[in-house]
Amino acid sequence: MAYDVIIIGAGHNGLVAANYLAKAGRKVLVLERRAVAGGQLVTESFAEGFSADALHASAQLRPDIVVDLGLRIEAPRSNPAYTCLLDGGKRLTLDADPSRASAAIREFSARDAECWPGFVAFMDRAAAFLDAAYRTPMPRLPHFTLREGLPLASLLWKLRRLGGRDMFRVVRAMSMSAEEFTSGWFESEALRAAVSAFAIHGVTLGPMSAGTGYTLMHNWLNRGGLAHRPAAGGAGSITVALVDVLKARGGEVRVAAEVRNVLVDGQRARGVRLVNGEEIAADCVISAADPRRTFLQLVGAAELPPEFVWQAQSIKLRGCVAKVHVETDGRHGLADGTLAVAPSIRYLERAYDAAKYGEISAQPYLEVTTNGNVVSIHFQFAPYAVRQGDWRAARSIVEQRAIDTLDAHCPGFKSSVARAHTITPCDLESTYGLSEGDLNHGQLILDQIFFMRPLPGWSKHATPVDGLYLCGSGVHGGGGISGASGRNAAKAIVEDRG
Amino acid sequence: MFELKRTPFHERTSRLSLPQNWRRWAGYLVAGSYDLVLDREYWAIRDAAALIDITPLMKYVIEGPDAAQLLHRMTPRDVLKMAVGQVFYTGWCDDDGRLLDDGTISRLSETKFRLTSAEPSLRWLAMNAVGMDVTITEVTDQVAALSLQGPKSRAILNRICAKPLDKLKFFRLTETKLAGKAVTISRTGYTGDLGYEIWMDAIDALAVWDALIEAGGDYGIVPCGILAMDMARVEAGLFMIDVDYTAANHAWIAGQKSTPFEMGLGWTVALDKPGYFVGRRALEREHKEGSAWKLIGLEVDWEGLEQLYARVGLPPQIPGMAMRASLPVMQAGKQVGYASTSTWSPVLKKYIALAHVQRPHYEPGTRLAMEVTVEHHRLHAPATVVKLPFYEPEWKKK
Repeated sequence: MAYDVIIIGAGHNGLVAANYLAKAGRKVLVLERRAVAGGQLVTESFAEGFSADALHASAQLRPDIVVDLGLRIEAPRSNPAYTCLLDGGKRLTLDADPSRASAAIREFSARDAECWPGFVAFMDRAAAFLDAAYRTPMPRLPHFTLREGLPLASLLWKLRRLGGRDMFRVVRAMSMSAEEFTSGWFESEALRAAVSAFAIHGVTLGPMSAGTGYTLMHNWLNRGGLAHRPAAGGAGSITVALVDVLKARGGEVRVAAEVRNVLVDGQRARGVRLVNGEEIAADCVISAADPRRTFLQLVGAAELPPEFVWQAQSIKLRGCVAKVHVETDGRHGLADGTLAVAPSIRYLERAYDAAKYGEISAQPYLEVTTNGNVVSIHFQFAPYAVRQGDWRAARSIVEQRAIDTLDAHCPGFKSSVARAHTITPCDLESTYGLSEGDLNHGQLILDQIFFMRPLPGWSKHATPVDGLYLCGSGVHGGGGISGASGRNAAKAIVEDRG
Repeated sequence: MFELKRTPFHERTSRLSLPQNWRRWAGYLVAGSYDLVLDREYWAIRDAAALIDITPLMKYVIEGPDAAQLLHRMTPRDVLKMAVGQVFYTGWCDDDGRLLDDGTISRLSETKFRLTSAEPSLRWLAMNAVGMDVTITEVTDQVAALSLQGPKSRAILNRICAKPLDKLKFFRLTETKLAGKAVTISRTGYTGDLGYEIWMDAIDALAVWDALIEAGGDYGIVPCGILAMDMARVEAGLFMIDVDYTAANHAWIAGQKSTPFEMGLGWTVALDKPGYFVGRRALEREHKEGSAWKLIGLEVDWEGLEQLYARVGLPPQIPGMAMRASLPVMQAGKQVGYASTSTWSPVLKKYIALAHVQRPHYEPGTRLAMEVTVEHHRLHAPATVVKLPFYEPEWKKK
């Protein structure tokens, strides 16, 4: 057999898993349907002289992955601020340095300014606990053995060591809404909205939805704070580093090699068949695609137990993010760092309300970053399933609302616009292979995390098909960019298959 | 107010049933019997022809390019090998290889099947059809069904059908006309005798019933309720859902569930067919390791039974209908199983039972004992394990 392992999808999790397995001596082949590797971590050219990090303004792999794999990734350029654009032209600038942020908060509330350093310290501790949780294999309930019990006990011990007060704060925050959680810390609406916007970033939830306390911690962990810290060479440079070390370890990456289906024989994966008909055999197949696509398209319902199919169909994938990249004449007048249009909690909740009813937010929550002439706007909420019309028509609506909303807060921005490139939830599905345009491969909601990710009873990367594993964002550790799922999958597979 | 449904034959059956002992069957009312005792109906099954309303069977039409594939995946049988006009009996399982239901699959055309089941199956069918090009339609209310069972059934049908049924083989079906009405006739039944099941549009039900009664008059046709059929099906070694096995989705605990191998349906499990089917892994394992339980036939020794009753000065007392009570089955004073249905077999003149027995006591010839209640005392009558069916007349498959 030519390959020990075939990995479907050269996104960061696929490449991280490939690297760990290559490091463990496996002969690895990574297959990517697009002409470029990277998945969500790509720096793309939309037109001559107009390029940007297509989906994520910044990305960081977990530090242990960087060390384990010997990745050479340039340090972020700077440690910029997170600035909320408020009504009436006011600004709340939260610097990465807590004392400078406190000084800015003082304009809104002296009490909140006092609380801010403590809040940041708590969030760092909570994120560290979550990091530990994402590294702990989740038990396949109800099958529970000592082997699974020990790491879990050690995780609980870490939770206990947070101390009585923080332990309860972390556990309670998970099921709380961002609105409730932030009101426990702060009185200023502007500050609460700034933090709440960050909590709902990338998820189809509003600041009043239960579980946004959890997504706040999750986003804090993956981004390392509120503001983006863009890599010097762009998001694509992380992909390049992952591919380079993989090749150095003898691994292969084939782009423009779309897998049509996983070859299954007697409930065992034997390899894959490409869209061009080529069949490639391997001892085991790992899918970095989202669980629903993996099971219902790549494997096919016919090869899977009916209850499992039903569960896979029920995975909640609800994309609601559009990206609007704008090329300007350079006079956009926007500050460096991360800008957020999130003037109040009510504003954010209203923006989310639209998504509930399949509408595009009339007044969207935006998160904006700049890179030279290019302005990248993260737009929420743009639901995958628009109730009226379709995304061919809705594309221009999103583009216009993004630009108009930003212009309202930063007058003059619109006049600097030269051209724009919009990525809709449908593009996320068709171009990037994300079912329903869900960046997280499955919503980060309480019934789809930890031992229930991707599905209850299937939290250990294995599937009903022997020799087929999952390593994408849709499994434990996943959601967002961190590489945790890829790392966990590789470790589980090495343990499983010896 | 909630009311049980009436079958399209109700207008006839309700006037004929003397005891009015209606039974609930899948949400319908059906006649338990037409006489106060079951003898006439039972002996019609064995000696003449019995006409039984089986409309309450759940019926589904499965149609489309992937229809065969759906049933192939859902059941353990090799449906891809099925010929048009063929009928398969099968059980189907959950993914742990435990029986959910059993029924028949009729291949009406290359791409059209009819499935019968005891329990509502639309959801399970739909869950199995994900990604398949197939439509599933429940036709329970639209399709009326009669079962004509007994050695004279063929002669009666030949009198009134557009074409003779002499060449219709066991578990095959044919489309024909009866009293001018389009019907499908399958050579199937639940009695272990020569017999046919007639499937028709519900609006033609009474016309078909009347034609059969008229044509069958000279042959001793008898409208027959489900109580007499219950005796005949035990003689034929045919089991009933939620009486002789508990559907896996009705069971409270794992121990209540049964597998096709345990129920003697090993012959329906096509482990040689390629690809996945529901329960495959579990069934492969059980096939390799053997079954912990088996459904077997138990014949109670008449002399032994007589001795138990003789002690109190009585001849053996046996109920005149099938009993759906669990009776302990013993060996050397230890319980090794239980009978799920027991009945007096008029044609065999024996007290027989369908029993679940643990390994290794299920081999034919094994001497066991079954509980009998003699004047309020629970005693054990000697019995012998026999192969099923208890009764199989030579004309059943001829």
